[in-house]
Amino acid sequence: MAFPTALFVPRGDGPTETEGSAVARPYETVIIFDSALEDAQVQEKIQRLTSLVAPNGGDAVKVDVWGKRKLAYPIDKKEQGIYAVLRYETEPSALTEFERVMRLDEQVLRQLTVVDPIVPTPVPVRAPRPAEEEE
Amino acid sequence: MVMQRRKVCHFCESKVAIDYKEEHLLDRFTNDRGKILPRRVSGTCARHQRQLSQAVKRGRFLALIPYIPDHQR
Repeated sequence: MAFPTALFVPRGDGPTETEGSAVARPYETVIIFDSALEDAQVQEKIQRLTSLVAPNGGDAVKVDVWGKRKLAYPIDKKEQGIYAVLRYETEPSALTEFERVMRLDEQVLRQLTVVDPIVPTPVPVRAPRPAEEEE
Repeated sequence: MVMQRRKVCHFCESKVAIDYKEEHLLDRFTNDRGKILPRRVSGTCARHQRQLSQAVKRGRFLALIPYIPDHQR
């Protein structure tokens, strides 16, 4: 059943979607790659993934590769992983494909996408109460 | 004398944003069993405790901090 859009009243916080054009939002994705991968292979995978969220040039994506790190607990019987943090702005709809591709990749041990915590979501400013007239 | 000083929320005081990627921070607010410290122990305010518990859970998922420490496994 379709959601009755007429009843959907956008809340005052964050960018609101106008019909037809989705608004880009800041996201942050942490990916843990299999530590068996070479640096070049990791770069190549990141390249491929970033093209999904930033189709016109990967400049918009800030990539921070932490390198090999010991996992706090084994994932898929692996004790180490290569951590990479991507920060970018994209339309929410682009994430579906992005996350699907990562889930299919067996060399991606973990992936977590969250709304970027560093770029603050604008807090609605409450309209000042009209000053009461004093008689 | 049993006079307890009121604990002040660490995050309100330091103005540090809670980041799930900083495992030392998450480590400080979990006990040796990997559990999230209650507010009455850590002194965290309600708002920051909510953000903190979210961050700890994300940190666990990303294997930055353990769900269960090794010595208990």
